[in-house]
Amino acid sequence: MANVLGVSHTSDMVVRSKAGMSDRTFSILLVAPALAVILVFAILPLVYALDVSFRFADLTRGGIREYVGLDNYRRVFSDSNFWTAGWITLKFTVVAVTLQMTLGVGIAFLLHGMTVGKGLVRSLIILPLATSAAVTGLFWRYLYDTQFGVLNWILGSFGLPEPNWLGDYTIALWSVVIFDVWQWTPFVALIALAGLQALPREPFEAAELDGASSWRVLRTLTFPLLKPVLFLVLVLRTIDCVRLYDAVAVLTRGGPGTSTETMTFYLYRTGLKLFRMDYASTMAIFFLYVMLVAAIFALTPLLKQFTDRAKEA
Amino acid sequence: MHEKRSLPLEVLRYGLIVLVIGFFVFPIFWMVLTSLKPDDAIMVSPPRFLFTPTLENYRHAIEDKNFLFYIRNTLIISVISTVFVVILGSLAAYSFARYNVGDGHLLFFILSTKMMPAIAVILPFFLIFREVGKTGFGQFMHLGLDQHGALILSYVVFNLPFAIWLLVSFFQDIPRELEHSARLDGLSRLKVLRKVTLPLAAPGIAVTAVFTLIFCWNEFLFAYILTRKTASTVTVGVESFFTLQGILWGPVAAAATIAVAPMLVFVLAMQRYMVRGLTFGAVRG
Repeated sequence: MANVLGVSHTSDMVVRSKAGMSDRTFSILLVAPALAVILVFAILPLVYALDVSFRFADLTRGGIREYVGLDNYRRVFSDSNFWTAGWITLKFTVVAVTLQMTLGVGIAFLLHGMTVGKGLVRSLIILPLATSAAVTGLFWRYLYDTQFGVLNWILGSFGLPEPNWLGDYTIALWSVVIFDVWQWTPFVALIALAGLQALPREPFEAAELDGASSWRVLRTLTFPLLKPVLFLVLVLRTIDCVRLYDAVAVLTRGGPGTSTETMTFYLYRTGLKLFRMDYASTMAIFFLYVMLVAAIFALTPLLKQFTDRAKEA
Repeated sequence: MHEKRSLPLEVLRYGLIVLVIGFFVFPIFWMVLTSLKPDDAIMVSPPRFLFTPTLENYRHAIEDKNFLFYIRNTLIISVISTVFVVILGSLAAYSFARYNVGDGHLLFFILSTKMMPAIAVILPFFLIFREVGKTGFGQFMHLGLDQHGALILSYVVFNLPFAIWLLVSFFQDIPRELEHSARLDGLSRLKVLRKVTLPLAAPGIAVTAVFTLIFCWNEFLFAYILTRKTASTVTVGVESFFTLQGILWGPVAAAATIAVAPMLVFVLAMQRYMVRGLTFGAVRG
């Protein structure tokens, strides 16, 4: 506390006479515009959604109407579609994040040990990150095509089965997973590689002198040191997977049936296809609440790291 | 870290790397290749690797589907959003980095809004813009549904938290001593910010701007729900290639290539900062 303010106090004392404004006023003036924008547009929609969630609101039948108490909230608990969507989201998130983390870290190790061409390989594999899921996702439908798709042609030429990637309800969700893995594994790899390259040298040299086995070094040195970075990546990926929308929208539109209908897609369908704003808002509030609570727990370490740095600077 | 390298292991390593590259690059390669194929080389089985390249698909996308219209919209919306995000974000981030406004709590609140799933606020946004668009002020500011202003405002709101976090990390890298001596020389706080800090932070601000631009350019959900036609961006425009006769894969590939190419170039140019940008500045890379 004291040292944070200490820095500004000294400068304050020196030049107070010249600038009639205190550091505090100045700093608040700087934050105010951005904060106003964020507050208005984070809080306003929230209040609006909260209000609608207690009303009857069917845009096909007279728009936003009278209050109905907790009816919409009761419906959430009895709506099997909601829980199915939740289950699909959970399956997607667990599988996609696990694959992205393991493959990403594996690739980072592969690249880390490279002696030549590391930079080139890195540039090549980060390309999927630059593309929009909505645009490349659409093109992936052509790759997945059962008749003209290049994917099944490759599988076929190795004598492997040729699945109906997007048309089979038992497979479609995993096809979306593969697409997400394609787009986001490079992210994990990139960050993990940066983490590996930033590791301090001394403990590893000491371990080498002690004759520790590579496995032991990996388990007791590399992974513990990488943990903060990997944890951050895990949190960011989980948040993104839970709110996955774009890939589903362009690849499967929730189908076949409702086999790939994630939370966000069900919410979208309820609100903007069926125009039941009341129920969709209720689900949005639910969803938001869960995300925010999870985010607070997940992000606290990150925040601490940041404020600590601000204080020592 | 200096283990002896055995040849078989190295062969295995490079073999795996080739596979990895193949997996990540092939879809993009195939997209570009398809965009150059004549019609009779697209809907064929087995897929063809050899063909006479043609620009017909690009012509179709640009002339018949008017795809440059979407590019123009995207460019207007992303650039204006980015300008606002960078200006508002830099001021706020400087304040956080130097004066620690809100003692971390405010910064945390800002980041937590970034965790909001867009879909949860899209319904209120939709309803609010629908109402605002009917008012005189909304008309004037183009804030109604299917108008540029609505999308710009949404993008500013949704990219500010990220930009602030990233910028804070850049401002923290600038030594305070420089500002101190400038203050001692009698410059006002605002002058110090303008003449000393901002020029030093310029590379970081540029990085943040490019990241914001990429996010806006690639955004789909808001564009899809808040626009119909006049303000539609590329991510939505590509969808217009769905016709009753099926999807025109050649033109889709051409349009997708046009839409993706600028961002590929940006990302390659920004490589050095990718790690920091993608982790809100938490990992310096």
